[in-house]
Amino acid sequence: MDIEIFPYRIIGADTTEKLLNGIESLDDVKRTVIHGPRLPPDVPDLNPKYKDRREITVKGKPIELKIRVGRIFVELTSESAIKEVEKICDDVLPFGYDINTSRTEYIRKHKTVSDAIKYGVGEDNLPDELIGMTDQTRQLAENLDYIDYDEVE
Amino acid sequence: MAQYYPGTSKVSENRRHFADPEQDLEKLREISDEDIVKILGHRAPGEDYKSVHPPLDEMDEPEDIVREIVTPIDGAKAGDRVRYIQFADSMYFAPAQPYVRARSYMNRYRGIDTGTLSGRQVIERRERDLEKLSKELLETEFFDPARTGIRGKSVHGHSLRLDEDGIMFDMLRRQLMNKETGHVEMVKDQIGIPLDEPIDLGEPLDEEKLKDITTIYRVDGDAYKDDKDAVEVLHKIHVTRSQGGYCPE
Repeated sequence: MDIEIFPYRIIGADTTEKLLNGIESLDDVKRTVIHGPRLPPDVPDLNPKYKDRREITVKGKPIELKIRVGRIFVELTSESAIKEVEKICDDVLPFGYDINTSRTEYIRKHKTVSDAIKYGVGEDNLPDELIGMTDQTRQLAENLDYIDYDEVE
Repeated sequence: MAQYYPGTSKVSENRRHFADPEQDLEKLREISDEDIVKILGHRAPGEDYKSVHPPLDEMDEPEDIVREIVTPIDGAKAGDRVRYIQFADSMYFAPAQPYVRARSYMNRYRGIDTGTLSGRQVIERRERDLEKLSKELLETEFFDPARTGIRGKSVHGHSLRLDEDGIMFDMLRRQLMNKETGHVEMVKDQIGIPLDEPIDLGEPLDEEKLKDITTIYRVDGDAYKDDKDAVEVLHKIHVTRSQGGYCPE
């Protein structure tokens, strides 16, 4: 099942890092999608004290955070994990949040015509676990970070 | 006695507080005259005011009783250009909001033209008077560095969720949180031209203070439906306006 975490504020890099590490540490979490407005491109002469764009580390893997996170979609293997997600959110999001479960899926699970055009059909086809993980208008590699749990301790 | 706004709630009291020119506004921060000029971006600090007509004393004006009754403001006397400042107020408990601003400006200031738009309020005045007025608006309760944006253009953001540090969304990123000091600094002028030096606007007001001085009804603050008096007056206006509108005679 999918859930949507909807924080009452748009969260920055530090909180996103904590939240993602918390969520990814749960066994019942299968996939996570972060969603929100894009951060402005890196301006080299902007004073670092104002900067929001930085690299975050999730389960030891460095990921360049390109957006300000407004929603987090999480695919869970069991409903009981929602309580654990709530516990993490209570710690990390003191300004409040909603966990929405009303939709059957927040992360798309069906292949579309666009997927077929973009990623091809047959052997080159998009693997099932990557469907819905990417923005249709962008290249897959630009906004997907894949953490291989066989390599994570 | 002037009746500025109906209602018994704290929000309605605050609306009256802003709209009543007899009530003094609390001064919350200090911004220098030079910084105000930089924020407005209409002239360089120290530069003379440009004029659009000669000083009124030197002009040969036609005989007119209104000209005798009304004392011109300083900028009009000198022939200054008309310039503006514009604010966007977040709906998350910003101290002021467009209609309250319109009412207050009309009651408090002379020689102005103000316009209410969706989520922003512009005020125009002769340049030297505008600078005085801007100083008052920025230093007093009208302004909160995080929830109020000084935005000459690209005003979008008043209804969006706030950033984690409480700053309202701004696509031009004019007001930024300095992570080292916790103060909000203005790094661009009101239309988004970068400033040489950032201008310190001070610390954002805390949530309790904002809820105390806000003029915005919200379900998670003071709900409008709970303010029976205000609802009753609105209802009365609605009914009489509809009836009068349908039968203007």
